[in-house]
Amino acid sequence: MNNLTDFKLSNAQLANINFANASSKAFQYKNAMTRRQSLKWFGILSATAVLPTISGCSTLKDVQALIVGHWPDIKLAPITAKGYGKDPNLILPPESPWPLTLTTEQLSLVSVLSDIICPREGSVPSATEVDVPAVIDEWVSAPYDMQQEHRLYLLSGLTWLDDESQQRFKEKFVQLSNKQQLTIIDDIAYDNEDTPSEFRFIAQVFALMNQLVLSAFFSSPEGAKDIGYMGNVAIAGDYPGPTEEAMEHLNQKLKELGL
Amino acid sequence: MKDFDYEVIVVGSGAGGAMAAYTLTKLGHKVLMLEAGRDYDPKTETPMFKRKAEAPLLAAGTVDKDFGFYDATVDGGWSVPNEPYTTGDGSEFKWWRARMLGGRTNHWGRYSLRFSVHDFKGKTRDGLGADWPFEYQDIAPWYDETEALVGICGTNTGLDDMPDSPEGVLQPPPKPRVPELLVAAAAKKLGIPTAPMHRAVLTRPLDDRAACFYATPCGHGCSIGAAFQTTTSLIPMARKTGNLKIITDAMVRSVDVDETGKVNAVTYVDKKTGEDILLSAKLVILAASACESARLLLNSKNPHHPNGLANSSGQIGRNIMDSTGMDIGAHIPALENRPRYNEDGHTSNHLFIPWWGHKQQAKGELDFPRGYHFELGTGFGEPGAGVGGDLQGYGKELKAQARKFYGAKVSLALRGEMLPNKHCYMEIDDKVTDKWGIPVAKFHWKWSEHELKQIDHGLKTGRAILEKMGATFTEPLPSAESKILKGGQIIHEVGSTRMGESPKDSVTNQYGQTWDCNNLFVMDAGVFASNPHKNCTLTIMTLAMRNSTWLSSQLIKGEI
Repeated sequence: MNNLTDFKLSNAQLANINFANASSKAFQYKNAMTRRQSLKWFGILSATAVLPTISGCSTLKDVQALIVGHWPDIKLAPITAKGYGKDPNLILPPESPWPLTLTTEQLSLVSVLSDIICPREGSVPSATEVDVPAVIDEWVSAPYDMQQEHRLYLLSGLTWLDDESQQRFKEKFVQLSNKQQLTIIDDIAYDNEDTPSEFRFIAQVFALMNQLVLSAFFSSPEGAKDIGYMGNVAIAGDYPGPTEEAMEHLNQKLKELGL
Repeated sequence: MKDFDYEVIVVGSGAGGAMAAYTLTKLGHKVLMLEAGRDYDPKTETPMFKRKAEAPLLAAGTVDKDFGFYDATVDGGWSVPNEPYTTGDGSEFKWWRARMLGGRTNHWGRYSLRFSVHDFKGKTRDGLGADWPFEYQDIAPWYDETEALVGICGTNTGLDDMPDSPEGVLQPPPKPRVPELLVAAAAKKLGIPTAPMHRAVLTRPLDDRAACFYATPCGHGCSIGAAFQTTTSLIPMARKTGNLKIITDAMVRSVDVDETGKVNAVTYVDKKTGEDILLSAKLVILAASACESARLLLNSKNPHHPNGLANSSGQIGRNIMDSTGMDIGAHIPALENRPRYNEDGHTSNHLFIPWWGHKQQAKGELDFPRGYHFELGTGFGEPGAGVGGDLQGYGKELKAQARKFYGAKVSLALRGEMLPNKHCYMEIDDKVTDKWGIPVAKFHWKWSEHELKQIDHGLKTGRAILEKMGATFTEPLPSAESKILKGGQIIHEVGSTRMGESPKDSVTNQYGQTWDCNNLFVMDAGVFASNPHKNCTLTIMTLAMRNSTWLSSQLIKGEI
């Protein structure tokens, strides 16, 4: 888990991802997309860059040497809580499986970011309206390797945002106007050939934040409805299969593809 | 057991053990079953309809619950607390275990494909591995009975890799879904068939089990009994006969013998007290899983069996085979923004790609000897961790992208047949014991060129299918070495106590009876002589039914 290639949220352990109907068990542990996405991330840094052991108290120092621009050297108290174990109650999952660790200040910043990433749209609530920050708090406070690694990146990213805000506007990020906030976000929300080198690392961390926010939002009942998930309801009789509309769409695509 | 005069001890309550217990109790034999894990009741413990958001970490996998929070695996997964295993230098092997009544049948994929004529006689055909000591025709009637009892949905296809079942045995399969139909159309262009997957999921009620209502992933377990697991079917049915008694939390330490070398007892650790308990035994059936049964036999050394019980052939722990595994996936633009509907279905493959290359292999047109199939990963799954994918930007545009890409990924999971080789085996680690002081298994693993060439073929074919669907690949084709999954990772480990024609090169005869002790049987996947690509559970159950029936006839005749 130390290699930077394992950093992305979309990696191995997170697996079930979009493939909820995925075939055999083992499939969930690796997929072609994952590797490719990871390689893209890996390309930013030297091929030999390897993070120091990711325990709660390690730092990003080794990576920092490879980063253009500023990057905070934060110290984190190790997470010492236990996981939920190998035989948790599945009918009544633990409501707070481990102590939450984000400070009020960090939660405020996470909330502002969450709603920039996932704002209210008409009657569809925003990320904070469905408690996305609480999910993120639970995520980064979890005692598992991947989540601890995410914690390090995410909290460094939050500090980076405040540092950047101070440099540009002499205030912390949450205190900026929405317009000021977006001038920073516009610089770090895209990672491509045009991204200035000083933003390429934070852009990866922003992408992680993006994935966490979208995951938490679309998993909520309101979010699931917004993305169009219509399952998890009991059907009496045979499975009805695709709707006529879905079949028409498919037939059109088959024609276009010459199939 | 003063109050229960049992004739047979069965070790294990999964596919093999439960079927053996069911068959024997139905035939009037009293059976005592030992299970290393805790009691487990799917009726009260299955998280039906629970949403990912209700679980910690959106139900994503962790080292505590490798396949996600809701997976029906108790006290196990890739690691079992206080019960380690080890691997040899340079070997990687993953061993999935469960410690619960019903074992791994509580969470398995329910894929239930018959082995075919080809599968039982691979060595006759290509000179590799080992033949099974019987013909497909010998086992076909037992497949019929097992399928009818278990409840399998699917259809007869007439394809050479999918033997037909008699009329009326299979239950109707669910309708295919949009991405599956797209895969089918693309595959057809390449001359590759697709077919309804056969699954141990009821689409019609059977006994007191309900038909599937098309919600809740089968891997969570199934409180209504639609998705087959022994804890909602064979075990309660066997209990109803009054001939079955079960002891849970009973980890068997050794199978013991009398002064003539014949099995006469079993010693288990009562995990609740830590005490060793000796049970006298007239007849023992091991069905603890292929590698646990082999471990137990190797650990049951005595002066009559210095290399391990029933190991005069030296084959125990050898010949271990898993399925090969490889996954290839892509974003399919044609599936973007498609009309929504409920795509849960029976929560797994409605269609799959069966092996289509027997004729090519017979003509020598392929450079690998054994076949594979593709399982399809598609659909509007329940959103969870990672649902957004690898997206850029923020705000409304970002959300619009997530909606556009939702349900537009397709992955093909290759599951193939491997051949046994001398580098893939287990032994007892002489330096490490588990919490109970029982020496642990040590695994050795190395894929051969047969598997790597098969994976390479699968990579090329998978890409071709995805490209026909409109996917684009920018990277060069990855190497088979980088894409093949680890040994054990598909959780189809078999062959560690293989059956055969001769005591020289096999551990049991065709009935799972060990050559060395006529009152000791193995009825898990350890007895497999080869590991066809079709998932082992249906055949484990079919063999257990056939072999228990034969065993009963031997008991009645007084031959054992």
